[in-house]
Amino acid sequence: MLNRIRGVLIIVIFFTFFVASNAVDSAAQAGPFDRQRPDDDAVERGRGVYLARCINCHGLDVKGTENGPDLIRSVAVLRDLEGSEIGPAMANIADHPAGLPGRELSDISHFLKQQIESTARNRNPSEPPDVLTGNVDAGRAFFNGDGGCNGCHSTTGDLAGIGGRYSPVNLQQRFLFPRGGGRPETPTLVTVTGGAEGEVSGTLEFLNDFFVSLTDTSGAYRSFRRTSDLRVETRDPYQAHWDLLERITDRNIHDVVTYMETLK
Amino acid sequence: MKTLRPVLLVGLLAAGAFGQGLDPSKLVELPTDSWPTYNGDYSGRRYSPMTGIDDSNVDSLTLAWVRRLNPGPSPQGGGGSNAAVIKGTPLVINGIMYVTIPDHVWALDARTGRQLWHTTWESRGGWHIGNRGAAVWNDTLFVETPDCNLVALRLTDGEELWRTEICDLQQFYYASVAPVIVNDHVIVGVSGDDLDIPGYLSSYDPETGEMQWRWYTRPDPDDPEAATWPSTEAMMHAGGMTWVPSTYDPELNLLYLGTGNPQPVIAGQGREGDNLYTESVVALNPDTGELVWYFQVSPHDTHDWDAVQTPVLFDAEFDGEPRKLVAQASRNGWFFVMDRETGENLVSTDFVGTNWTLGVGGDGRPLPNPAKQPQLDGALVSPDQYGAVNWPPQSFNPDTGLFYANASRAYSVYYLYDDDEKPEGWGGNDRGGYNIPMLQAIDYRTGEIRWSHRWEGRGRVRSGLLSTAGNLLFAGDIGNNLVALDPADGTLLWHAGLHTPMTNGPITYELDGTQYLVVGAGDSLYTFVMLAD
Repeated sequence: MLNRIRGVLIIVIFFTFFVASNAVDSAAQAGPFDRQRPDDDAVERGRGVYLARCINCHGLDVKGTENGPDLIRSVAVLRDLEGSEIGPAMANIADHPAGLPGRELSDISHFLKQQIESTARNRNPSEPPDVLTGNVDAGRAFFNGDGGCNGCHSTTGDLAGIGGRYSPVNLQQRFLFPRGGGRPETPTLVTVTGGAEGEVSGTLEFLNDFFVSLTDTSGAYRSFRRTSDLRVETRDPYQAHWDLLERITDRNIHDVVTYMETLK
Repeated sequence: MKTLRPVLLVGLLAAGAFGQGLDPSKLVELPTDSWPTYNGDYSGRRYSPMTGIDDSNVDSLTLAWVRRLNPGPSPQGGGGSNAAVIKGTPLVINGIMYVTIPDHVWALDARTGRQLWHTTWESRGGWHIGNRGAAVWNDTLFVETPDCNLVALRLTDGEELWRTEICDLQQFYYASVAPVIVNDHVIVGVSGDDLDIPGYLSSYDPETGEMQWRWYTRPDPDDPEAATWPSTEAMMHAGGMTWVPSTYDPELNLLYLGTGNPQPVIAGQGREGDNLYTESVVALNPDTGELVWYFQVSPHDTHDWDAVQTPVLFDAEFDGEPRKLVAQASRNGWFFVMDRETGENLVSTDFVGTNWTLGVGGDGRPLPNPAKQPQLDGALVSPDQYGAVNWPPQSFNPDTGLFYANASRAYSVYYLYDDDEKPEGWGGNDRGGYNIPMLQAIDYRTGEIRWSHRWEGRGRVRSGLLSTAGNLLFAGDIGNNLVALDPADGTLLWHAGLHTPMTNGPITYELDGTQYLVVGAGDSLYTFVMLAD
């Protein structure tokens, strides 16, 4: 029981210092130019110190345990510069080394800063998502059935071997959003009628509410001002994909991608 | 050490030469000869009573001047782009325009675009993602800097009067919001969502820079609303940034604010619950920062759908009774109307076609569909992370009774990258996308779409709106055009091609009996004019 009380007390002290300080107005701080950039060698040395001295209470991932607070979210650690904040903090907390050698203190600081920087960038995946969670047979059935994919595509034609050409997550993305990402596009065809030149067809170059332009079958660039008399009809080659977004389920998506991944 | 470096034109050094000071009474009036606040007036309607430019003569609009902002090779530091992009709303006071980008403020002659002064802030860092503009109180201009400072400048020459730190760069905050002046308060928001840090709104003394109050966008541990978080530790790192300026009702003396997304942004499994007061419209007492009421538009969001879109205030009939209303077309694709005295929800409707809810609860809040939270193998979600709308200003026109939003029906796939029981930061993201850009005219009484204009072509609308008593609605399209539409039915009336898409919301003002219309596009201000007969 005594140990438990002591653990709670430590948490309270840590919480007061590291968390509740969010509520006070900040004093002058250094900006990102002065933000401590983790040094690789120091990070590795600091990792060793952390594993030896800190991990039991603050956890393998530095995000805290019931015996010690999260150090990534700690204001003191965030404001620390080579031990400037965490050194004095540790000196005031029971069971923490008060006189840690300066280099060890600095190394721990670099290790913690590396954990913070990594967290701040974790909107970018370290590994691609695993999207192969569907059923191959169900994916094949959707491809040839409700999805209507086989109306335009063939697994022995344009999609032959596609499972070997793209990663699963890129398969999923290209299936749902075939346009974009700097990839070559199938052109949109357009027909303009009602103008002085009669019907003009070609490959769409530009379209907005006021103008339309195209490259016609002779290779000439043509531009038109849109009026109430001018009719513009476009044929987006990806329209079936956009229509699918309105009705496809996540289960359908995972089934189709899992099926397509087998096409190698 | 930072220094401000004002650059003035020779001969304009005499302080007071222009008589620029702002009469505080202008802040509660509809703008005519000025555009004195971020939204023009306190209401956020972005509606002008001027009729010099109207649906019968808009074809005769003439380009008066173009001003390209050249910030020079100033050291900006921090993250984001150093390119000059006008993402804020200029102010116009006594014939002088004040326009900002991160680390820079210009004073221009509103009649000609001629530069009067330019002040550069030597930055220590912070994200240079955009600056929403300045605020003026008497003879002082206030602006936030990316490196977390609120700076007071002398209006006549841009000289620094004082500075105060409003956030902590080391905690990954930065500052981008246009301040709001209410009485003797300079009210400022803060930005940043890389780490799990708490959002807040603060008030400062306009003369001394001393902080008057700070309101955190989360409950205190003893509040009943604290139960919407699984732990105090999670709640203390709530997120909920205050990215966009507030609106204000002088009669009720209430400030209205939309709050940002909870943290961690995408991986929400460590913060089960509704996560109040994130993604909420809140009413605060501007003298104390005390919370008066709240209405949460996205309980437990996991899609980065900051509900910071301007809460727009208007008085109108609802169910046969005159009501004081506040409305928001929110990033999550839903439109809300509340009684602004009490926060009572009156309307909740989907205004673009979304797929993330299971309907609406009895309290008017959308019910999130757990299946549309980010998944390890991906979930197709509409709208995408940019949202159905984003920060660009919307407009309410009392003549038509319609609320306008330049919007998108958009799809992307949300992935969960971190399935740990205690994720931090983001822990996921969305990817890919397809969107249908559209200008929506929403009936505030029902939330029904009265008319919708689908912008032709491919792209995304990233600009704001202005409606006027001249029976006009100004908008940017997905290309480079500034467009005037009939606010009653969406008919296209006029357009002008700019060199790049509009990047802010239009403003209008009248000088010498001439009505001006100004928009920002990239690094340039375009000013159109209806010359008086």
